[in-house]
Amino acid sequence: MKYVDEFRDGDLIQKALAEIERLCEPGRAYRLMEVCGGHTHAIYRYGLQDLLPDAITLLHGPGCPVCILPMGRLDDGLELAQRHDLTFTAFGDMMRVPGVNGSPLEHQARGLDVRMVYSPLDALKLAREHPDLDVLFFAIGFETTSPSTALTLMQAKAEGIDNFSVMSNHVVLFPALRALLDGPDCRIDGFIGPGHVSTVVGCAPYAFIPEDYGRPVVVSGFEPLDLLQSITMLLRQMNAGEARVENQYTRAVLWEGNLAAQRAMAETFVLRPHFEWRGMGSIPGSAHGIAPAYAAWDAEVKYEAPAVEVAEPCGACCGQVLTGTLQPDECGLFSVECTPERPVGALMVSSEGACAAHYNYAPRIADLEILA
Amino acid sequence: MTAADLARLGACTLDDESCSVCGDNTVPVRALAEAGPGQMTVEDRLGARATVATAFTPDARPGDVLLVAAGVALTHIPAPEAATP
Repeated sequence: MKYVDEFRDGDLIQKALAEIERLCEPGRAYRLMEVCGGHTHAIYRYGLQDLLPDAITLLHGPGCPVCILPMGRLDDGLELAQRHDLTFTAFGDMMRVPGVNGSPLEHQARGLDVRMVYSPLDALKLAREHPDLDVLFFAIGFETTSPSTALTLMQAKAEGIDNFSVMSNHVVLFPALRALLDGPDCRIDGFIGPGHVSTVVGCAPYAFIPEDYGRPVVVSGFEPLDLLQSITMLLRQMNAGEARVENQYTRAVLWEGNLAAQRAMAETFVLRPHFEWRGMGSIPGSAHGIAPAYAAWDAEVKYEAPAVEVAEPCGACCGQVLTGTLQPDECGLFSVECTPERPVGALMVSSEGACAAHYNYAPRIADLEILA
Repeated sequence: MTAADLARLGACTLDDESCSVCGDNTVPVRALAEAGPGQMTVEDRLGARATVATAFTPDARPGDVLLVAAGVALTHIPAPEAATP
């Protein structure tokens, strides 16, 4: 298939849906979880859940690192910047995320030097070109963004740039998947694996899911037909009583991933013993701290982090939505007290959080009543 | 290599990454030219250009498609393969 239109071609979509319908065994339910904000977004944007047979339920797992970041971490970063007169840099997506005392943008309005960067390399460039500034990069993301931070740390060390540091909030996907599968309310029958994380880590690390838990995994692309093909592949495995890792997104993902990026991450990061995930609690080994060899660029070593702890908002059901126990609109706060404009729960914070995607794309009963 | 070839690898562009930290968004771009050690000038499907790091894709050549996250190319697809149905 050459063109994007072919991944959205109506006839091909209908054929894929007919095949999925044919594969659904009578009386059997198929609960499939995607763990990628991009997939969640695509599923809602193209209304895929509504196209699928009732037997198939798509669950929206923890695919958005902005959503799962505890509020206290952002407050720590902003507090560090204030205390030590640092220039706070972060991706644009972090700028509106609320902390206890406001978002980075609100801190900027109050006088803190806050700058949006496209890449940690841009934050390093700022430090290189402005020796008078002390630049902090607030790093966040799964394995797709970790390599850029790793490369930045290696460059900072190679050039001896000492007015630059990183506060790492990089999270690791696989311990979170294990935590989901170990959960007492686990309702997941199979996983739609994240495409671009897999360009870095490859497909092999998913092997524990079929081996230890008997669930299949299909690494998937992001077009509607990619997702439908991945669902077809999952159904075929499940109907045959099989569980293995397959790669649907072969046009971008190598089985072994990107070995150079993996080596850079291994050099610059160490696994934290524990890391707190909003809505899921503390998960062992689920985040990257900075390796001792790079301690001079580790903001949490260079400066003393205040370790702010913030309680989860009362009434929000983020944990149940993240683990697939509830759908977004089954939370009592959804669309009433918790909206993208005034997010209460973690999953409403980023546009690709499950609740924000549901809010933006799924028809709401109130809307339907108005239309009626 | 057409804009559609890039789009089939993702809808994001250099100016609109959707959410760059969602962990799964990369920007598909076409490599134009070397721009110094470990760097290449690239162009997205809308014609916007940027310089990205290619330390992790050392075999990338002008004409290849790169998938870029946070200013760093994570994978490269050789030009003929990228345009092959």
